[in-house]
Amino acid sequence: MVQFSPDVAHTIIKAAALLGAGFAMIAGIGPGVGQGYAAGKAVEAVARDPEARGNVITTMLLGQAVAESTGIYSLVIAIVLIFTI
Amino acid sequence: MKYIDEPAKLQQEILKKTYSLALIPLIYSLIRGEFATLLGFIFGLLIATLIFRLRLIQIERALDMQEKKASTFIRNRYFIEYIIYFVVLFVARKNPSVNFLAAAVGLFFVKLTVIGLVMIDIIKGSLEKKLESYR
Repeated sequence: MVQFSPDVAHTIIKAAALLGAGFAMIAGIGPGVGQGYAAGKAVEAVARDPEARGNVITTMLLGQAVAESTGIYSLVIAIVLIFTI
Repeated sequence: MKYIDEPAKLQQEILKKTYSLALIPLIYSLIRGEFATLLGFIFGLLIATLIFRLRLIQIERALDMQEKKASTFIRNRYFIEYIIYFVVLFVARKNPSVNFLAAAVGLFFVKLTVIGLVMIDIIKGSLEKKLESYR
């Protein structure tokens, strides 16, 4: 079994944590793409039925507010990985 | 949900409920004397409120655009907001007088309120349906 000195082990752990933080940040892209897509579809919906504008805005507002949370989760995890370890 | 056709009123309603719910952790941390937690929570909550208000303005602007332009606009704005969230969390992590986890919870608080309100609506709806079926 390979044994590392404490310095090397710490470096490996740090590198793995930073890599993990990078992977976690991938989750931040999804909500942005999804929100953009939803906005496009909302424009389409309002063009089809202008009277439903208020309803569309409300639905979009609530949907986007909730959709964003996964992005923030990933950000929190990434920051914890970067600064705690 | 009340005011479903009036987004500005609904937003105000959500923010009112968020603040009244936020009083519980605020008073609790004040009583326990954890000022870092208090400061972190207020910091996160304020930024979340401002971004929530900004979102309505952005959506109203986006709906007057063309489909592709609106999509790109909202996507770009999301990434700008993401950077703001990063700055908030970074500051909370670096500054010892601001609790990091409290700031994160503050950022989530508006979303938690929205989810809670929708859940209450769903439960109310299903209960009303059940009551009607009994009648």
